[in-house]
Amino acid sequence: MNLSHFEALFVFAFLVSTVFGLTTKTTPKEQFRYGVFVFCSFLGVAIVVGWLMYPLPW
Amino acid sequence: MSHENSPNPAPESENKIVKLRTFNLGLALAISFSGFILPGLGHILMGRWVRGAMLALAIGLMFLIGISMQGELYVSDLSQTPLRLFGFFADVGVGLLYWLAEHAKLGSGNMSARTYDYGTTYLWVCGLLNYLAIMDAFDIARGRKP
Repeated sequence: MNLSHFEALFVFAFLVSTVFGLTTKTTPKEQFRYGVFVFCSFLGVAIVVGWLMYPLPW
Repeated sequence: MSHENSPNPAPESENKIVKLRTFNLGLALAISFSGFILPGLGHILMGRWVRGAMLALAIGLMFLIGISMQGELYVSDLSQTPLRLFGFFADVGVGLLYWLAEHAKLGSGNMSARTYDYGTTYLWVCGLLNYLAIMDAFDIARGRKP
């Protein structure tokens, strides 16, 4: 399997947020909301940190 | 003051007492450690089919993707650098899948592959997530979580 960096990040965030949502919350609604929050956080932080590192010369 | 006389009685859901089914310590340990045989099996044995199936799917898929990305499964070789033992601890968390892949020589890793680092990280994290699922199953079995 030859995923790009972003594809690997996307799949990773989806699977990890699924497990985090299932194990940390009790009701299905809470699990879904927390899973979406974790998923968006993974993607958002990765994109922001990626842009912050963009001007670094090394 | 009883709730009948209070001006703002608590909602119905707050008054409901939820009786959690609990197992004794030995049985709870056995149920939770069954997650080493198959991720999510502990939840399935307690009748939580959906949660168990979703855990099995997420962790199993992560393991398969890690292997197909040519990630490396670390082995318990004490002659190697001690830091690799942390990787072994993470990898072995997925349980039976780890041993099956090791025996099938699937986790040897290919460092020249572009996805080697991603695959190795997937393998570490799916083992660590399975530890989390096992502890979740234990908490449910002991009645600490609904």
